[in-house]
Amino acid sequence: MNAIILSAIWGVVMMYTGVVTKKKSTPKVVAILGILLLITANWLEYAGLPFFNVHTGGMLAFTSFGLVFNLVAFTATLFYFLLSGSDMEDVGDNVADYFALIFFVLCGVSIATSFASLLMLFLGIEIMTIPLYILAASDKRNLKSNEAALKYFLMGTFSTGLMLMGIAFLYGASGTFYTEGLNLGFGSLTPMVMAGMVLLMISMAFKVSAAPFHFWTPDVYDGTPTVFTSFMATIVKAAAFIAFLRLFENAFGKMHSEWQLLIAIITALTLIIGNLTAVFQQSVKRMLAYSSIAQAGFMLLAVFALNNTGKQGLILYAAAYSLATIGVFAVLIKMKDYTFEGFNGLAKYQPLLAALLTIFLLSLAGIPLTAGFFAKYYMLVAALKNGQMFWLVIVGILSAAVSIYYYFRVIQAMYFKEGKDPEIHVSEGFKTILLVAALIIIILGIHPDWLLNLLNN
Amino acid sequence: MAEILFWLLTALTLMGALMVVFSKNPVHSVLWLILVFFAISGHYIMMNAQFLAIVNLIVYAGAIMVLFLFVIMLMNMNSDTEPQKNKWLKMAGAIAGGSLLLVLVAALKDTDIKTRSLSGAEGNIGLVQELGKVLFTDYVLPFEISSVLFLSAMVGAVVIGKKN
Repeated sequence: MNAIILSAIWGVVMMYTGVVTKKKSTPKVVAILGILLLITANWLEYAGLPFFNVHTGGMLAFTSFGLVFNLVAFTATLFYFLLSGSDMEDVGDNVADYFALIFFVLCGVSIATSFASLLMLFLGIEIMTIPLYILAASDKRNLKSNEAALKYFLMGTFSTGLMLMGIAFLYGASGTFYTEGLNLGFGSLTPMVMAGMVLLMISMAFKVSAAPFHFWTPDVYDGTPTVFTSFMATIVKAAAFIAFLRLFENAFGKMHSEWQLLIAIITALTLIIGNLTAVFQQSVKRMLAYSSIAQAGFMLLAVFALNNTGKQGLILYAAAYSLATIGVFAVLIKMKDYTFEGFNGLAKYQPLLAALLTIFLLSLAGIPLTAGFFAKYYMLVAALKNGQMFWLVIVGILSAAVSIYYYFRVIQAMYFKEGKDPEIHVSEGFKTILLVAALIIIILGIHPDWLLNLLNN
Repeated sequence: MAEILFWLLTALTLMGALMVVFSKNPVHSVLWLILVFFAISGHYIMMNAQFLAIVNLIVYAGAIMVLFLFVIMLMNMNSDTEPQKNKWLKMAGAIAGGSLLLVLVAALKDTDIKTRSLSGAEGNIGLVQELGKVLFTDYVLPFEISSVLFLSAMVGAVVIGKKN
């Protein structure tokens, strides 16, 4: 509850910051203060010290799983603010409002990680996505940004409509909105429950951009101002996954064997389509959009397996993927040329930046000694432990092998190709923070248990 | 009496909905849609959900329809500017949509819906007073949290609408 209330309040504080001061750099400082406050408050709630005692009527359930994910999401947002916060000033004049919208998204994230009723799921997902439509449109003079926002809005509202229809079916079948009540209520899979569950599955698959509901992703991620793509593709996506897992575990866990094949097909399609299409991209930004689809395939394995290893793996995956992608995007924003050629010879002019970028890309590819390796490892082990559908694990391993190709294309461009100076201007502070992010990725790659032990509280 | 009214309203709703889809002129579509909303509101009143009926009229038949009409008038639509749709695309859409309809109808046609008795003893369940009580006791949390949703939508409208 701490995180939900404080993030909403801090969103309002950010709005007033925009009124009080016209200086463009102030909102970033206030936002960093806010996110530090959120991390502390969330930590205190995790330690058993909630500030607010709200009567939720059982509609929210604060478990260590949700709270640890909140911690991961807020920490990733802190890095995002530190690395890319000042780049928001180049998008438009309403910097304070952009930060306010991001805090509202975080409020939605904290609801999505703690819902125990389908009503709250709907509200959480909506509070997460509506500010994103606006952030996608924030570059008002840019036609691509407008296109991205409109596309995202139309597709997003359509999938929300499907979700509502699914919720209506489930309510008709069981007479309750509570996930626990749904899980207990179904002795057998009646057509009504089936229709509701499949509609919910489709809309959640849309929100996490799983194939075959991924078609909006490349255009939206490409058209949105790069600063906001970074946020959209990492923290929000990971939070949608937590909601997906919680929904299917709490509401449909008893019918696991009935829908497992459906999720397995979606997972396999996502892995194959995401990875193969990423290979053919010429722009690094578009490649990252497809890579986010491919990584979504791996995260879906947790929903497929629905066991403890999968849950641990999803937390680790969220941390590894978010940090690494935020790092890559932070450097990408500074580049003028978004194609692979733009990275040619970067190692010669910016050796530290290139080295850190390499660590992030290695983590995304899942090379040992980085957090990405253990994240993928946990996912595959979860799928194996589940004991069903072994072929999915093979698809996962093969796709991971394909993904190495396109991540290494960037590394190869940086180290083995000649190019002219890309003239990147970054401060020492930026490099230091990027270094810290890379260190966290390596530490998590050696000691994933340091993060995962938090779940055993 | 109530049964006749029910079937009349149902026929009106379905006919209106079909005309929305089949009208060539978009303005006519919108006008038919208004009829659909009125007929649905009639259903709500028959179920004793007066608040829902009024809200449906004010929000949908009122505000949203006016918005629709504005958009259609501003877009200046005529047949020349209308993009030609691919024949195959249309066919694929019809087949896909038809299959979905078939599957849903086949699956749902003989399910038993848990109907709770809405008439009789609980006859006042749809009244504003009852709704208010439930909204501010059992459902107070979603009610309050939806304010964040509206706030972010308002901020967004200002961000997009403001002159730079």
